[in-house]
Amino acid sequence: MHAVIPYVVAALLFALGVYGVLRRRNAILVLMAVELMLNAVNLILVAADSTIKSALVGVQPEAWAHAAPEPRAGAIFALFVIVLAAAEVGVGLAIVLQYYRLRRAVVLDEVALHEHDHERVPR
Amino acid sequence: MTVADALMLALGAIAVGSGALVVTSAHLVRAGFYLVVSLGATAGLYLVLGAELVAWVQILVYVGAVVVLLLFAVMLTRAPIGPSKDLDRPALPAAIIGGGVGLGLTVLLVDAFRWTEFELPPPGNGRRVGEQIFGAWVLPFEVLSILLLAALVGAIVLSRPDIGARPDPNAGAEPSPAPGPVGESPEVAARLERIAARQAAAQSRVRAQRAAERAAEEGEPVDEAPAANRVPTREDALKDQARDVVFRAREAGPKLGQPDKSEMSAIEGGAKSAERRVIEGSSRETGRRAIEGSSKETGQRALPRSTPEGEGE
Repeated sequence: MHAVIPYVVAALLFALGVYGVLRRRNAILVLMAVELMLNAVNLILVAADSTIKSALVGVQPEAWAHAAPEPRAGAIFALFVIVLAAAEVGVGLAIVLQYYRLRRAVVLDEVALHEHDHERVPR
Repeated sequence: MTVADALMLALGAIAVGSGALVVTSAHLVRAGFYLVVSLGATAGLYLVLGAELVAWVQILVYVGAVVVLLLFAVMLTRAPIGPSKDLDRPALPAAIIGGGVGLGLTVLLVDAFRWTEFELPPPGNGRRVGEQIFGAWVLPFEVLSILLLAALVGAIVLSRPDIGARPDPNAGAEPSPAPGPVGESPEVAARLERIAARQAAAQSRVRAQRAAERAAEEGEPVDEAPAANRVPTREDALKDQARDVVFRAREAGPKLGQPDKSEMSAIEGGAKSAERRVIEGSSRETGRRAIEGSSKETGQRALPRSTPEGEGE
């Protein structure tokens, strides 16, 4: 199996995520693009978990060159990143919904960062 | 080119294609569903790469929870059905930066892994992943659980406007007045206050009368003098009120379907007992009399208990 395929797919997904974060104005779509980027990182981790031992063939057997001393460490890291993404999207959507309740808008360009209107109690 | 390679290419093409649709679609809801497709294809890639547990957790958490949450947010923010026009910024800077990132990463990874061939690890590694998580990685696991709890509490606090809300500094010092018992205009409130004052006066009159009657019945005229001399304090008033409420109202209150004794005497024209009924709130008609000039509805609202006799009148 060629190791380059999942890596290239992950790179392209990450690029799409960057493009989406920069392009979109809607906060929910920005969160979707962030999910794409996190997913690309997960794919890199899982692919490295399977392929790093083969990729290090021929490298001088020094301490850093040994494949991961804990087997399946990449998969476990991917699980952790999935948990982090779930927490991130929960808090992010709470912020987006609260902002929508205050301003009736989810457009990121029009968020006023210098005012203190967030202290007002919403009616 | 093995079967696994072809599978990975196909799944990668699906993931990248639907990811491109996520970031370019003009429909909010369709972007969410394309995200489902992209994440599902990535889960297939995990499966091919031999990480079954990650694949199923991806399906469960991402497709099952995160995308559903995103779609809920789309609904709650009243996203229009159909294409939205003002969803995007100008494309050029984002395309330059995104393309640069994609090109750089692709070149880097292709250069690193161009000729690497790897063998799949043996399947069925969920058990090993579990052993690793609860063995070598148990401390990050616990930290992650604390982080999830913090995110949960934070999301609840953020989405409830009544927690931690500070008053508006621009609104002025005085808070808005508490709504009255009826929530009406100041005229109505003043009228209700007048009614209450009149009722209190009548109550004290009747109470003095009753005390005199009691003294006359018990044959102790001496008792009247200290009662008259003593200044009635607030405590006495409260005690009398409580006694009235507990005993008088219970025994003199209207029974269902029949007029009670005091009302029978009221029919015969006893002004005194009628006044008593004003205090006990058992008659609508005398309540109306006590209001004197206020509207009928207010009197009925102030003294809502109606009697059959009152309706007979």
